[in-house]
Amino acid sequence: MTAPPSARRTSPRIVLVHTVTFRQARQFVPVLIPIGAATGFGGGTGTVIALVVAVTLFSLAAAAVTWWRFGYADGPTAVVVTRGLLSRSVRTVPNDRIRGVEVEAPALHRLFGLVRVRIDAAAGTAAGQEEELVVDGVPRAEGDRLRVAVLTHRSVPPAQPDAGAPAPPEEELSRWDNRWLFYAPLVGSYLALPLAGIGALFRLGEELPDDLLDRLPDVDVPSGWVIGAVVLGMLLLVLAGAVVGAAIVNWGFRLVLRGSTLVAVRGLFTRRHTELELDRIRGVAVSEGLGMRLVGAARAGALVTGLGDAERRGQLLPLGPRADAWTLTHRLVDDPGPLRAHPSAALRRRIVRALTVGLSVSAGGAVLLTTAGRWDVLLVGIALTVLGVPLAYGLYGALGHAAGPHSFSVRRGWLVREQVVLEQRAVVGWEIRQSVFQRRAGLATVTACVGAGSGGYAAVDMAAGDVAAFTLAASEPWAGALARPRRDGARM
Amino acid sequence: MSPSHRAASRTAPASPVREPAWELPRSAIGLWVTESVFSTILMWLAVGAFLLFAPSDGGPLPLLHRVLPYAAALYAVVAMGIRPWFKHRVYRWEITAEAAYTRTGWLTQTWTLVPISRIQTVDVTRGVLQQMFGLATVAVLTASSQGTVRIWHLEHDVAQRVADDLAHRAEQVRDQAT
Repeated sequence: MTAPPSARRTSPRIVLVHTVTFRQARQFVPVLIPIGAATGFGGGTGTVIALVVAVTLFSLAAAAVTWWRFGYADGPTAVVVTRGLLSRSVRTVPNDRIRGVEVEAPALHRLFGLVRVRIDAAAGTAAGQEEELVVDGVPRAEGDRLRVAVLTHRSVPPAQPDAGAPAPPEEELSRWDNRWLFYAPLVGSYLALPLAGIGALFRLGEELPDDLLDRLPDVDVPSGWVIGAVVLGMLLLVLAGAVVGAAIVNWGFRLVLRGSTLVAVRGLFTRRHTELELDRIRGVAVSEGLGMRLVGAARAGALVTGLGDAERRGQLLPLGPRADAWTLTHRLVDDPGPLRAHPSAALRRRIVRALTVGLSVSAGGAVLLTTAGRWDVLLVGIALTVLGVPLAYGLYGALGHAAGPHSFSVRRGWLVREQVVLEQRAVVGWEIRQSVFQRRAGLATVTACVGAGSGGYAAVDMAAGDVAAFTLAASEPWAGALARPRRDGARM
Repeated sequence: MSPSHRAASRTAPASPVREPAWELPRSAIGLWVTESVFSTILMWLAVGAFLLFAPSDGGPLPLLHRVLPYAAALYAVVAMGIRPWFKHRVYRWEITAEAAYTRTGWLTQTWTLVPISRIQTVDVTRGVLQQMFGLATVAVLTASSQGTVRIWHLEHDVAQRVADDLAHRAEQVRDQAT
């Protein structure tokens, strides 16, 4: 009654993995620390060893209980996962709600020949809920069997071949080139990690007990070039960290088209295996950060309907040359043609905005200079004003839109410039916004509402007269409802 | 209703798209006035508390003490005397053969169009104030978090009819609703 007939268990070897990683024991740490603090950590090495042994045994017990009480079954209609020691929880996910299966193999799992299977199953649109079933710790063969079984039981894609049938032809769309690692130091997200690491190191240094600091050998006050060398060393460390981070995440990235599915594999320690159905891909986003534009690098991600954690799973090209990103994009979505620039009124709006910020800070600074004798705010204001103008040009230069016969494209952003190419059928609605200022300038912001990616992609400040034509060209005929009945001949 | 484009296309710029055909019931004005009364009272309480308790010397504080009462008075006039009627001119809606279409906002105006074939759910909600005025809001939801059409402040029976009609038609023409 509690479990379907074919309930399966994970491999017992996972208990060892979880003991080592303290997977279950981790959640008790907030409880244990105050207890430990209350009883006092003071005492010799004997206490420490006892503590370590106790924690490890506790972790082993927790992992074993979790393994003992965990079961899963993939039936013809649904996947059922049972777990919990005291409060048993049974989650049943109908197969047609399953949107994708991901098999990943963290380093420790690989050592024991195990994998972790994530079944992405959002039921309905209730967001924020736990949208994944995780079956952690099955042998690799069983993981592959589960993935194939779940995907073939699903009724949506009828073309899925049986597990026994010959595999459909594979075509490699993209393969990681280790030279691309040199792009990493120019990408903000890869730089963030080593920077955070150095920050943590500094904090640690501050928290060292004073007596330890006293015992450090006395150093003379470092001279200028020593400080310079240290800074240079830090810089090199950060750059190396970015490269290493990119390598860990993206190592051996490979994107393969297998039948009607895109398969992406990547990762140095944790190998991830993600599948995307071509039929669910509605478009592609190509983004280029400020630093990436300097060297012609880009990243590409698929906009997939109903995909949890799309940022990570939708990746088509994590980091690579811009040309590769665009080749891949046009492989998946039709090229809508070159972008049309937005009217010069859009540039004027950006300049006015930049100058308003800069000049108001300057004015405040001038007041402070006369009343309190402070000149720093004025300097900041002047700097903002001067830098604002090129920023305005940069922001304006990023704006653009285009509509082709089957697809359309919008682009925006300066710090991270993102261009999305979407299929016409992707659009589930249009939203047109016009502020008072935009109305006076003859501009409007048009957002294509899409059931994929971030939910909406905007053409900011396009000419108000072009809106109706663009929406009709970029989506299906229903958008004709936006067009004005042609009574007034001239438009702009 | 539409401004004459031949005469003054520069001084009275046309809206970017067609305006929806139907306007809201007059009772929506009453609702908006009531909402403004509440927000004005809250604002006056906040301003009164500031005038009573904030010190009146140092930095920009004396200026604030002089300006805030006028600002609060101006807000009251705009919110209760002007904005409801202005909104009633802006808020419009229409259900065409293929789509639901609205215009909302007042200073910043928003047109939203959702095709019936992509509708996922249709909700009717009646807030406390809305019930006093016999009004209801129809929310038309799609797969996109941004593609939601809200038809504010329809008479309750109209709202219910519209919702039923939309849900019924959506079921008939639904394609892959994503």
